[in-house]
Amino acid sequence: GQEFQFGPCRVEGIVLQELWEAFWDMKDVVQAQDNITNVRLLRKEVLQNVSEAESCYLIHSLLKFYLNTIFKNYREKAVKFRILRSFSTLANNFVVIMSKLQPSQENEMFPISENARRRFLLFQREFKQLDREVALTKAFGEMDILLTWMETFYQ
Amino acid sequence: DGVAVLPAPQNISVQSTNMKHVLTWSPVMVPEEIVYYSVEYQGEYESLYMSHIWIPSNWCSPTTGLECDITDDITATVPYNLRVRATLGSQTSAWSTLKHPFNRNSTTLIPPGMEVTKDGFHLVIKLEDLGPQFEFFVAYWRREPGAKEHVKVVRPGGIPMHLETMEPGATYCVKARTFVKAIGRYSAFSQAECVKVQGESLPL
Repeated sequence: GQEFQFGPCRVEGIVLQELWEAFWDMKDVVQAQDNITNVRLLRKEVLQNVSEAESCYLIHSLLKFYLNTIFKNYREKAVKFRILRSFSTLANNFVVIMSKLQPSQENEMFPISENARRRFLLFQREFKQLDREVALTKAFGEMDILLTWMETFYQ
Repeated sequence: DGVAVLPAPQNISVQSTNMKHVLTWSPVMVPEEIVYYSVEYQGEYESLYMSHIWIPSNWCSPTTGLECDITDDITATVPYNLRVRATLGSQTSAWSTLKHPFNRNSTTLIPPGMEVTKDGFHLVIKLEDLGPQFEFFVAYWRREPGAKEHVKVVRPGGIPMHLETMEPGATYCVKARTFVKAIGRYSAFSQAECVKVQGESLPL
């Protein structure tokens, strides 16, 4: 079967199609709330040319941020926009992925993990420069960018 | 004031076979009245970060039945809390919550149904259509001493699939099992089914 292979980190048991279908169900509602079209949080500098070795560190940081910050603070909106089903599918599958990611903590990997951290900080800094609610809405709407990037590691 | 007057539904349980999950409960008996039931769920994320939020089931909020197909609600391989309550007019019961959270990786996988046929000298199999979550491992061999077993992965089911071009007079056997990617588990193999090809078997 297919699985995620983020460099050394292997993640089984995720049906990517389920995540896509959940996002497509809510895409119009969510992205319609985002009026700032000239800003992109998951910019090219964050996701482009990520090495295999870096990918485990980066996906770990991104999903942790999405679960602990974005999903956690978007839930009232999810109730209001009646997208709890999609919200739940994505959040719970991200929980599964997170539980299976074990990025190496060895010293020799420090330069690689540092690269990944710099990419993540680019994203986080962009997030913090926006108004809180605007940033949450934009980040939630950019999950298609995140899923597209994740798909490149689905084999 | 219509709060929790009805008894709550009892004997809540989940039956799950081949990734089809059904929640069942015992009826709340009110003579000559129709009682409605509502089902709600929450995944691991909700119970960790937003435990007050429950999500109405896709098909059963409300229903008059005593069971609910929650397959479309369970969309991740994590523990899910499930609850049911009864409603009659303005009266509602307390919620009854499933004692142990349900995880789809506990589903019972049974061997797939299959039809093994001959199309001339072609060995053809048609597997039961179990939905997009399923892949099939098909093993087939020529029934003779020391025969080698071949394996093919088939996805999805429900479509006739050519396995082998057979030798006249020979007998070929086939068995199959399923693999569910979302939970990383296999079913047992089905019983083998064999077919014999007309004609004289060729000298070896």
